[in-house]
Amino acid sequence: MPAAVVVTVTALAALRAGRLRRLAVAVLALVPVAVSSLVVNALLPAGGGGAAAAGAALLRLLGATLPATLLFATTAAPDLLADLEARGLGRRAVFVLGAALAAVPRTQALALDVVDAQRARGLDTEGSWPRRARGVLPLVAPLVIGSLAEVEDRALALEVRAFGAPGRRTVLQRPPDSGWQRAARWALAGLLLAGLAARAAVALVAR
Amino acid sequence: MIVLEAAAYRYPAAAGWALPPTSLVLEAGRIVGVRGPNESGKTTLALVASGLAPTAIGGELRGRVLLDGRRTVDLKPYQLATRCGVLFDNPAAQVTGLHRTVRDEVAFGPCNLGLPVAEVLERTDEALGLLGVGHLAARDPARLSGGESQLVALAGLLALRPAHLVLDEPTSRLDAERSSLVAAAIERVAAAGVGVLLTAHDEALLARLCGRVLDL
Repeated sequence: MPAAVVVTVTALAALRAGRLRRLAVAVLALVPVAVSSLVVNALLPAGGGGAAAAGAALLRLLGATLPATLLFATTAAPDLLADLEARGLGRRAVFVLGAALAAVPRTQALALDVVDAQRARGLDTEGSWPRRARGVLPLVAPLVIGSLAEVEDRALALEVRAFGAPGRRTVLQRPPDSGWQRAARWALAGLLLAGLAARAAVALVAR
Repeated sequence: MIVLEAAAYRYPAAAGWALPPTSLVLEAGRIVGVRGPNESGKTTLALVASGLAPTAIGGELRGRVLLDGRRTVDLKPYQLATRCGVLFDNPAAQVTGLHRTVRDEVAFGPCNLGLPVAEVLERTDEALGLLGVGHLAARDPARLSGGESQLVALAGLLALRPAHLVLDEPTSRLDAERSSLVAAAIERVAAAGVGVLLTAHDEALLARLCGRVLDL
């Protein structure tokens, strides 16, 4: 039930933000997991949970993944980081989070560079499967080494921008935070606590 | 003024000396060039002259390196950054990736120092203006060309108002047109009184910019 509420609220929020399509893509990505859950729970005797258990598991999975998908579909990483910093998160924690968020597109760009460079050297990346398999190592090795070298370059680039200076960083602009947004956050926190309390109460009564 | 007195450097765990004993003086407003074949120690000289080696990356330094009269080994990395900026050859690795606009990216250094907002913005606009890239201020740093990225990275250093700059092959990944933009920016920076140490393979660039060239 709580998972169904989370999924419904997320879908409504996505609809309002015009990001329903992005959410749909995330749901599609979960189809293989949903199918395997259904097979294990409903069709195999060892699973034992039946279709209802498979549905509940899928709902929990959606409840865990869709809010995060919506967050990153509606919030630019720099805005999120600026807001966290304005709320007092330390510069190193902000950078680690930012680097983690930027790692995927950065690695993708580096991988494309490596593929282009290796193709220029005659590596076949579009032939038969055995040919492609042979091409994996020449692609992966430069990608890993390049990523490690870039980490070193970035660390030095931060040092030369006075990243290690003591004291608090200047926050240039605080992202807008309206009264109703603050109220909604407090309401959600209250709802969470109430849900936890209700769950604990139900568990106590069941004993 | 940057002064190297028989400075030699060895990387951590390395057997040999990457930089043989080297002496040079860099005065305010001057551009000194450094040339030499690959593996001759140009990048190492850039790291040593800026104080990053050994302060930030470890290793062993012999001889003395003075930055405005103070030994670089006695300064912390952020103290070095406000005295000497270092620009590397890979523009992509020098933007933080944390910011939505070029203005915010350039302001990153002054923000790290905890300066008042008005001063951060003043320094940022001054640096962008000096390099002639004020029109990029609202652009996304991730969507710039290589030459633009290099100029934005340079602006990020200048916003810290260092007295010196060490530029390690700043045009090696750029085409002729972009290289010319960077060269013109370096001329403007030196004319503003910043001492520049420039390592490069490009003889034309060295001839255009440098009053003196050191061979490694």
